[in-house]
Amino acid sequence: MQTTVEPPGAAEAEDVAAAGWPRSWPLLLLGAAVLPGLVLFSVGRWLDSPAVQAWRTVCLAITTQALPFLLLGTALSGAINAFVPARVFTRILPKRAAFAVPVAGVAGVVLPGCECASVPVANSLIGRGVTPAAAFAFLLSAPAINPVVLTATAIAFPASPVMVLARLLASLATAVVMGWLWLWLGREEWLTPVARHTGHQPGHSRFTEFRTGFQHDFLHAGGFLVVGAMAAATFNVAVPRSVLDTFAGSPWLSVLFLAALAIILAVCSEADAFVASSLTGFSPTARLAFMVVGPMVDLKLIALQTGTFGRAFAARFSAATTVVAVLSSALIGAVLL
Amino acid sequence: MRRPLQVTLLVLSGLGLLHVSLFTDLCLRYVKPSMRPMLIASGFLLILLGIAEAWSRRSPAGTDGDHIEASEGHVGHNHSKVPRVAWLLFLPALSLLFYAPPALGAYTASRAAPKAVPQQDSFDPLPATSPLPMTLTDFTTRVQQDRKGTIKGRTVQMTGFVTPDRGSTSWDLTRIMISCCAADAQSIKVRVYGIPALAANTWVTITGTWHAGGTLGTSSAPAALDGVTVEKVAKPVNAYQDALPFPTSR
Repeated sequence: MQTTVEPPGAAEAEDVAAAGWPRSWPLLLLGAAVLPGLVLFSVGRWLDSPAVQAWRTVCLAITTQALPFLLLGTALSGAINAFVPARVFTRILPKRAAFAVPVAGVAGVVLPGCECASVPVANSLIGRGVTPAAAFAFLLSAPAINPVVLTATAIAFPASPVMVLARLLASLATAVVMGWLWLWLGREEWLTPVARHTGHQPGHSRFTEFRTGFQHDFLHAGGFLVVGAMAAATFNVAVPRSVLDTFAGSPWLSVLFLAALAIILAVCSEADAFVASSLTGFSPTARLAFMVVGPMVDLKLIALQTGTFGRAFAARFSAATTVVAVLSSALIGAVLL
Repeated sequence: MRRPLQVTLLVLSGLGLLHVSLFTDLCLRYVKPSMRPMLIASGFLLILLGIAEAWSRRSPAGTDGDHIEASEGHVGHNHSKVPRVAWLLFLPALSLLFYAPPALGAYTASRAAPKAVPQQDSFDPLPATSPLPMTLTDFTTRVQQDRKGTIKGRTVQMTGFVTPDRGSTSWDLTRIMISCCAADAQSIKVRVYGIPALAANTWVTITGTWHAGGTLGTSSAPAALDGVTVEKVAKPVNAYQDALPFPTSR
């Protein structure tokens, strides 16, 4: 008897299987019953392992910490959009864009908060007719030179008050240089259109415009904040702090290394002075670079900028800002510290 | 993202924030206590936003809802269309509400370099009480900077959690401190000898004397303790600070 002969029923079954059901449907059924359970179980186990728990804690901490500031920023941005007429800005800022940049940079003093708040505000400023270069100078300087951050810096470095001055000058210089760089090299098409911020439309309720703009900006930026928090938490947990010390020796490498660390740690600008003061093995200039780069470029901010201004902009702008910030803190650090 | 979903998301995020800041102390696992009022305000604001959105949807024609719908066409901006990335906000919202991760502990501390203690020039004489309650920072500063060596021979008492050291019988009494949120956690550790390590992250109050080594009053002296007694204690509500031990019942 040949072994290849199939019983008559099998052929039929195969036909049916070909038509709708895969041949191994009992297995699949079994798999469908067991797999989700297994997956749930192992995911549960995995979520409770110490490393993943630490990751979740850090991720949630960054998000929780940033949410109030993001709300503040998006509320301000919504308010600027709905309540402030465009002519206010043209009256305050100098006509020549090259002069408007430093004025906007210094104006960053007035926005107390960390970096998450400044992105939506800068975006709505552009929508209201402020030249992008000035808005970017404001975007960069606001989180670094506001009184809250400078006070925190003074508290974190009680022995060297000149650090506060160095931070102020280096941050301001970076912001203004970046504004001028944008005037020189920047192109409008890198920015995604900011059609959303059209300002007050006659015949519409200002309050509704404020509310919908606020809500839209918050949900939008909030999503990107979560992306950034996840990325930062990954580095925060995956890179043990003990590797830091291997770079502390060389003066140049240590500046670059702390700048890179500022980008991946994504510490809020109100707290980074305390982190910087704890990096005792590093030169003051390297620590200054950490505090200048941190509020201007980090994973959370890159994610926020990508969401707000578009990927083409965020990549170029973050890269250029990092270079300018490192150079300016190296210069100022060499003179002052 | 549909508008009913936006309402859900806003309200859930608000409730999540209120849950951790107003109804429980969970937010202290992530941020400083000083952030609390801002979290509560943000929670209420988000819920208000959600309610306002829901209200505008069901209000009669001619007001908010239709208004925006009508304006979307010609202005070219569409507030009801929120990008998909906003879905990610559900993760922290739900996590805050139902699945809050624990405070950072031994895992983080074991991988971090210890925090540098502040420089202190003059030291007051130590109080005469014994055992003497101290913070981990105080103890480390006394051991490594007090040239008079007042800590020598004193029985001190400190509270922290256990960070075991694999392949060693000694372990670290640990505190984690944050300056803004848990992303900038720094740990301070005191090595404990003579007492077997308990499970990681157990909070203990320990008494003991300085574990001699190096020159007392210089950085060569180890911040270490010869343990005498150990007692399990409850985890403090605000764990991210270096505080004195709780007064014991004895």
